[in-house]
Amino acid sequence: MRHAQHKRSQQGFSLIEMLIAAVIFILLCTTAFGLLSVAQQRYQTESQVLNSFQEARFGLEEIVRDVNGSGFPPQSMFSFTPTVPPANLYAVTPVAWSPNYPNNPCQIGTAGGGTCTNSPGDFDLIIERDVDPWRHDGVEWTRYQLANNILSRAQSYKVVGGDPATTTGAFFVPYVQNVMNNTTPAQIAQFHAIYPNMFPGGNPVPIFSYTCYTPYGPQPCISAGSYNSPQYVTDVDITLIVMAPTVDAQSHQVRLVELHGRGHSLNQIQ
Amino acid sequence: MKKNLQSGSRRAQQGIALLIAIFVLLLISVVAIALLVSSGTETALGANYRSSSTVYYAALAGLEEARGRMLSKNPNYFGPAIVPPGTSLATALPLGQAVYVVNANALITETVAPWDSGNLYFDTEYQSEFGIPASSASWQSVNSVWNNHSTPGPMYKWVRINAVTEQSLYIDVNQDGVYDSSTLLFYDPAHLNSSGNPMPSLIVSSSPPSTAVQALEITALAYLPNGSKKILQYLVAPATINLVLPAALTLDGHSDAFSSPDHSYFRISGNSDGGDSACSSMSYPVPAIGVPDQTPDVNYVISGNPGPGSTGIPVSPNETGNFTGNGPTPNVVQVTLPSNLQTVQSLNQIVQTILQNADAVIAGPATEANLPSAMSYSNPMTVAIQGDPTQVHQGDFHLGTTLSGFGLLLVTGNFTYDTGSNWNGIVLVVGQGIVNANENGGGGTFSGGMLIAQTRDTSGNLLTNLGPASFTNVATPNVGSGIYYNCSWIQAAQAPLTYKILSFHEIPQ
Repeated sequence: MRHAQHKRSQQGFSLIEMLIAAVIFILLCTTAFGLLSVAQQRYQTESQVLNSFQEARFGLEEIVRDVNGSGFPPQSMFSFTPTVPPANLYAVTPVAWSPNYPNNPCQIGTAGGGTCTNSPGDFDLIIERDVDPWRHDGVEWTRYQLANNILSRAQSYKVVGGDPATTTGAFFVPYVQNVMNNTTPAQIAQFHAIYPNMFPGGNPVPIFSYTCYTPYGPQPCISAGSYNSPQYVTDVDITLIVMAPTVDAQSHQVRLVELHGRGHSLNQIQ
Repeated sequence: MKKNLQSGSRRAQQGIALLIAIFVLLLISVVAIALLVSSGTETALGANYRSSSTVYYAALAGLEEARGRMLSKNPNYFGPAIVPPGTSLATALPLGQAVYVVNANALITETVAPWDSGNLYFDTEYQSEFGIPASSASWQSVNSVWNNHSTPGPMYKWVRINAVTEQSLYIDVNQDGVYDSSTLLFYDPAHLNSSGNPMPSLIVSSSPPSTAVQALEITALAYLPNGSKKILQYLVAPATINLVLPAALTLDGHSDAFSSPDHSYFRISGNSDGGDSACSSMSYPVPAIGVPDQTPDVNYVISGNPGPGSTGIPVSPNETGNFTGNGPTPNVVQVTLPSNLQTVQSLNQIVQTILQNADAVIAGPATEANLPSAMSYSNPMTVAIQGDPTQVHQGDFHLGTTLSGFGLLLVTGNFTYDTGSNWNGIVLVVGQGIVNANENGGGGTFSGGMLIAQTRDTSGNLLTNLGPASFTNVATPNVGSGIYYNCSWIQAAQAPLTYKILSFHEIPQ
């Protein structure tokens, strides 16, 4: 009796038992690793989206602060009569324009309207201000421009008699990648199908939209009549639509992030 | 045997359970660690962004607190002894004085002393502006509304308010090649450029014109516990409407209409009704009624008064200077109006400024019941009655007897007052330019000044030239006490409407 029991205890598992155990183990492992893989994919996609979001957020914040400080120092800081064309000592406007700077301010339009053919526009903004007043090196132009889905930034000294768009054109550096506000119509249609609330009407979304001073209160520049001019810009609304560099690992669809900001120039020009 | 078999089988199963348990634990651990790593990254990214935004907007909050508290109507007004209104050289904040608004955080029991070089929040910016350390400046401090508050507010530490010079701003305002370090800077909204065109700007002047107001600098430091820090700076100047009323009643227009009651109680007086101690330099009397033209307006007004032979507007010994000729003819004088009261455009500009900055804009038609309840003797307010100018009577206002008004009243439609009603301050009836008295109660007085101008036609369109202003009081038997010029109330009604931001910029750290 004792012998039989001892023998049995050394027998180990039968093949059947091992097989069942192995099958259960494999099933559990498959499930667990499946879950892990899903989590991994989610993590990768989300961190991509997060990176794009972060990059866009920093970009947006910088533009908002640049607009807040635009037009510094205003002409009213000086009591002397300005010469024509104005020197680069002070900002003649919060937002510089092209063509015909500085003598003939253009009219701001949207979707190709207006007479500001180079800047300011839906995807182009040149901020005029003295970035480093303590240096006494004059006013600078800071430009943001969207081209080929890359929002670029350029900064240069204001050149007396120079055109802001031409002057800043040589200094562009990429700033925010994968900005989809003005991508191809095919892509916009694709985005609009996935995210019906984005790209209203299937049209490009302006990055910059402008609010102008009028004696009757602030108005969108495009409907501000005779006050539609870059010189009267008080607020700039900024919308950035940024795409994560890779598609969602699970749904295989693009991921977009839309951010809004508003900069308000505190330096009065009037 | 049966028992043993069972026991052996159980032992075998126990091994499997252990193995499975170990593997499952392992898997869960891997997933958990992955999740921890990912959320940790997110937290770090979020915190970084948050502190850079927080510190910027905290400094902005400090600037706005100081700018707001410089206004006399603010419940936490600094008071003229701390930050003078700066509407003239006499009320300017002198150089070398710094007013600090300090904001210590109650939760960490800290000391905020920007004037103390040993303090964490020492104002190093002061030295770069004025060339001397903040510890050598003549400073005074005021607590922020958030100072040691049980729920900490925005994390700015101090805000400094001070006078400025070319040297401190490091801007050569008059372009004379010198950075003047001793002359105060003023802001002159009426400054002209060398071609004679308006060019509001800062001016360097040791004797600024009466239109100029002091430019003050507001600097705020925000500091977060993680060391993020930011300094922002405003240059501000008080925005006043700068009304200089030439007479107790100014009929600003052509072919004005005037009719006054035939009663000795009613007066329009260029002498103060008393209590005018704030204006020691004021030389009374001023004209009782001022009009811009000799012909026909002076005669129109005189003929609108019941005139000699009746009781009319009375002569009293101490008001002789207000009256011309013999008998009870009021002193109607052709006055030279300040440039901001001469044209439809300039008057409309004043109306717009008031509408934008008024303490209360009331949709007409309205009565004294619609006036803000906070208005009082010690808290004069700026109130505008506004309606759609194209709709008749929408800007109308009826001042009844139930409460007295204090401050500046702008009526864009018709103004009707009960003969028992009182107003201390300025009454502007600019728009339709019509004033009528309504017989209800007696003894009501306007103390300050009244200006009537018609700038719009009855359809609400702006006129090219000023139309006829109209004042009618044919109430009887109660006529009211009339209008008395009072320099103190005119000044009190014109406290700065706001401190306008002349410029704003970040100071890099």
